[in-house]
Amino acid sequence: MASSETTIIGRDTRIRARVTGASDVEVQGHLEGELTVSGEVRVTETATIAADIRARRIVVRGAVRGDLNADEAILLEEGAKVVGDVRAPRVAIAPGGLVKGYVETGHAGEGKSHVGRIAHATATCAAPAPVRHAPPAPKSAPAKAHPPAKAHANSKSAGKGGRLSLAGGKAPPPVVPVLKKGTKAALTKRR
Amino acid sequence: MASTVIGANITIEGEVIADEDVVVQGTVRGKLSAKDGVTVESGAVVEADVSGGPMTFAGQVTGNVTSTDRVELQSGARVVGNVKAARITIADGAHFKGNVDMDV
Repeated sequence: MASSETTIIGRDTRIRARVTGASDVEVQGHLEGELTVSGEVRVTETATIAADIRARRIVVRGAVRGDLNADEAILLEEGAKVVGDVRAPRVAIAPGGLVKGYVETGHAGEGKSHVGRIAHATATCAAPAPVRHAPPAPKSAPAKAHPPAKAHANSKSAGKGGRLSLAGGKAPPPVVPVLKKGTKAALTKRR
Repeated sequence: MASTVIGANITIEGEVIADEDVVVQGTVRGKLSAKDGVTVESGAVVEADVSGGPMTFAGQVTGNVTSTDRVELQSGARVVGNVKAARITIADGAHFKGNVDMDV
């Protein structure tokens, strides 16, 4: 039976533990600790998770504080709230999915093609990951971010993509002008 | 309907606290506490103190068991630990080692 293959953590259940194994896991309740399985992890709307999750595939509709790592794909659907890093060969963030953290698609050994996918993912999320990268490399970060954002805008309707990327990029652009203006100030400060 | 199911290939090391039914088909180590029923199916391994409502054991349970209701050890169950419950039934073919504390 399918039910015997799936582990369900019910909505009124709280687990503080390390959960490991081979089957699919559906979390409807509260999980604190660590979740490592070789199957699929589904996080429902009612779930609250404070744990790193490792699985073949992760589908999130609830709240997760912790890093997500999948061998295949991570789907952040409407209602997903993720605070933590998201890593998988394929990452999808649906409208209504919120992410705060670093998003990386593709494996480390893969080519540059995944850079565009990163931008695609971050462009649709409310709190873009590049924020972390902006301070150390203000000049290189926009250069990386812009072309994929344009590509994204071209690939989908220009209005939506543009607005989204603008909304996502609102935080960084003020930083860059401030830095440019501030070069004098920074110099004066240094002196 | 069971609300929480710990599948056959899953190991939980830590604390499980449920305000609902729990069905264990896999492995639980640590503590298992349910407001409602606890079912340990054949093939399951529970190395934990178990507390809750009505309980049915067909698998292996090592730890102290406390139930506000009945505890049923089915044939094939292996239970090592003290059992405190309102009612306890031990089926023919169940293995049990421990103290029994019933409301007498």
